[in-house]
Amino acid sequence: MNDARKTKRRTALAVLVIFAVVSIFVVRLVDIQVVSATEYNEESLAKRSVSQTTYGSRGNIVDTNGNVLADSVDRFDITASPLLVNTFERETEDGKETVDVAVADAIAELAVATGATEADITTALTEKPGSNFAYVAKSVTLEQMNAVRALNIPWVYDVLHPSRTYPMGSVAGNLVGFIGTDEPQNGLERTENTCVESNNGTSTYERGADGIRIPGSTVTTEEASDGGTLKLTIDSDFQWYAQQTLAQRSIELGADWGTIVVVRVSDGHLMAVADYPSVDPNNVDGVSVNDLGSRAFSSPFEPGSTMKSITIASLLDAGKITPTTTVTVPGRRDLGNGQSIKDSWAHGDIRYTATGILTNSSNIGTSYLSDSLGADARHDYMTKFGFNSSTAVEFQGESSGLVRPTSEWDAVTNYAVQFGQGMTATSAQMASAYQTLGNGGVHMPLTLVEGCTLPDGTVTDLPSTEGTRVVSEAAADTTVGMMENVVNQGSLKKDLTIPGYNVAAKTGTAEVANANGYGSDRIISIAGLVPAEAPEYAIVVTFAKPDTLKTSGAVASTFKKITTQVIKTFKIAPSTVPETKYPLNY
Amino acid sequence: MSNLAFATPLRSPADEQHTRHIEIVSSREQRRARPRAVYAIVAVIGLFVLFMAQLLLSIVVSDGAYRIAALQTSQRDLGREQQALSEQLDMLSSPQNLATQAESLGMVLSTTNPVVLNLADGTIGGTAAAADAGESVISGSAGSLVPNSLLAGVPLVTATPTVDPVAAADAAAGAAAGATPAAGATGAPTATLTEGSVASTPTTLPSPVTR
Repeated sequence: MNDARKTKRRTALAVLVIFAVVSIFVVRLVDIQVVSATEYNEESLAKRSVSQTTYGSRGNIVDTNGNVLADSVDRFDITASPLLVNTFERETEDGKETVDVAVADAIAELAVATGATEADITTALTEKPGSNFAYVAKSVTLEQMNAVRALNIPWVYDVLHPSRTYPMGSVAGNLVGFIGTDEPQNGLERTENTCVESNNGTSTYERGADGIRIPGSTVTTEEASDGGTLKLTIDSDFQWYAQQTLAQRSIELGADWGTIVVVRVSDGHLMAVADYPSVDPNNVDGVSVNDLGSRAFSSPFEPGSTMKSITIASLLDAGKITPTTTVTVPGRRDLGNGQSIKDSWAHGDIRYTATGILTNSSNIGTSYLSDSLGADARHDYMTKFGFNSSTAVEFQGESSGLVRPTSEWDAVTNYAVQFGQGMTATSAQMASAYQTLGNGGVHMPLTLVEGCTLPDGTVTDLPSTEGTRVVSEAAADTTVGMMENVVNQGSLKKDLTIPGYNVAAKTGTAEVANANGYGSDRIISIAGLVPAEAPEYAIVVTFAKPDTLKTSGAVASTFKKITTQVIKTFKIAPSTVPETKYPLNY
Repeated sequence: MSNLAFATPLRSPADEQHTRHIEIVSSREQRRARPRAVYAIVAVIGLFVLFMAQLLLSIVVSDGAYRIAALQTSQRDLGREQQALSEQLDMLSSPQNLATQAESLGMVLSTTNPVVLNLADGTIGGTAAAADAGESVISGSAGSLVPNSLLAGVPLVTATPTVDPVAAADAAAGAAAGATPAAGATGAPTATLTEGSVASTPTTLPSPVTR
């Protein structure tokens, strides 16, 4: 009986223990499977899943023919884990044996592969020995990255680092601008960022023990988007020629800076905007900070006699003069208040026609012609030609120049503005004004961006094609005809004539004001149109503060070269009509 | 049952009725409707096939994952290579490089009179004048004045190619041993290309052949 009771008790105990153990398991099971399930799931997912950045490609900037001016490229950062830096084994070429590679040797190999110095790499690896991350080299090319990979160093890694390159260097570098480490910093890269900007996306996927993606596990949390292609009106080959020729002559003349602007007159599209000095966007540090932009847009100056064509066109449109209007021009015009107007050369009374005044660039003659039209009307014409307001390009840092209201004009300014002193304009504004003359008096919005093609094919940023009439067609054509006389009868005839073509041009030698009034510095320029009988392109060449030659004659050779290149590049047929000649004197 | 007298049992008929063996005989229809083993076998085999198919599918899918990973890597690498090459092409076709290379070959950009050939009637427009040898755009000045830092390492096409000393030694050894392809075996293009399809004479232009 005693035995039986014992057995019963033992059984009860065993059952009790079993129940206790099972209930512990059950509690734990419920805890894992139900209570903390979410937590554990997340933890496990985090171990399996990898989050990665998917890079959108920043849009290219191309010229009018599709040549790439700014390109997005892959660069790679070579990184290492200093914590793991140690001697490692590497298979020999036949793959049968392994050799030990010492850290110093590995660093030497890395230096050769990446182009970084051994000292820099050593510093990077030893600076924080406990760290898991250090840069060995930044932004290396694919070739260099492959060389690094071929070294098979276990503690060296590579990371994609999208970058920007400018295959043509400083060709249109003044316009395209550049981007810094984080964001676009200058030029069209900055102002047209909304077009070319890309957005990086992120996606996560799960991977197995060997790092292979588990099928169907990719979750895209944010879609990467590419940027659009920005197309400029610039012709890169011609732009290069303009920049090369400009730089060459600027150096010869010792000019502080120079610009060449070429505009297609029919639609105001800029074919070239050359600046000297200008930036190579691949090497931004290579030039002074003042030379990073485009002076053609940002630097207004007193243009000088190139304004006389604008004056003549205004007076012709108002019906106040004809090409043969006669004026007796004295050697000096006294304005009665102690101020006077002089010409650039000493002379007695000359009997000029209006064409003669323009051809010989007489300030006094221009002042007499200007008497025929009120100051307000002349001011209005200047405004309509685009002076005193920035061009439609709205380039970064663009200046609108300055033409003061007539109420602020004193006796001499009243005349001086008509021959380009006492007012300022940029090269771009001047080119835009000559575009108006060449286009039968219709001012087209100056255009630098032809359009932005987004990745889905939609085209935005289309330029306005709406022109405004400034002067009558007859007035514009007659002005161009009168400007032809500068080339075929003026003092620069020999330097400006292009056989087979009628060219219209006007020279400018402007005095540059400094703190003490006008000094000895000059800004010399020639603005013109080709072919004169039916203008297709307006050309403005400007040199600021030359040292050696200080008259517009120094510009002639460059203007002729550029005009010749315009004829060749844009295939202008030779003139079939005789040149326009008006009498200069009476 | 014929000898009733001996065979009559002592129990009452009611009792006998009680012990009679009764069996439910299934009708033919019922028998036919009864589950048969073949169905079970088919079901089990079907399940087995399904499991096998799923196993095979998952093997194929995970195998595909490796292929996808490999192909994606190779696509990425090829894309990068293509991009690197087109980057190099863009750089080499930059106007600075083309002009410098062309001038090194003796070409000039004529800045004298522009002349055009009218294809409609064959007339020449403009006043023809020979280009001056000194009219170079690059070498006439201090070199290229439109900098492009990318072109730093690009040699002129006319530059003497640096001969790999090992290859040169090989070629020399080959020549010494009487091997036939001796000259030019180093990979340097030879300057004289006499066997061209077009005879190159300095005074006349070759007439183009069109179809």
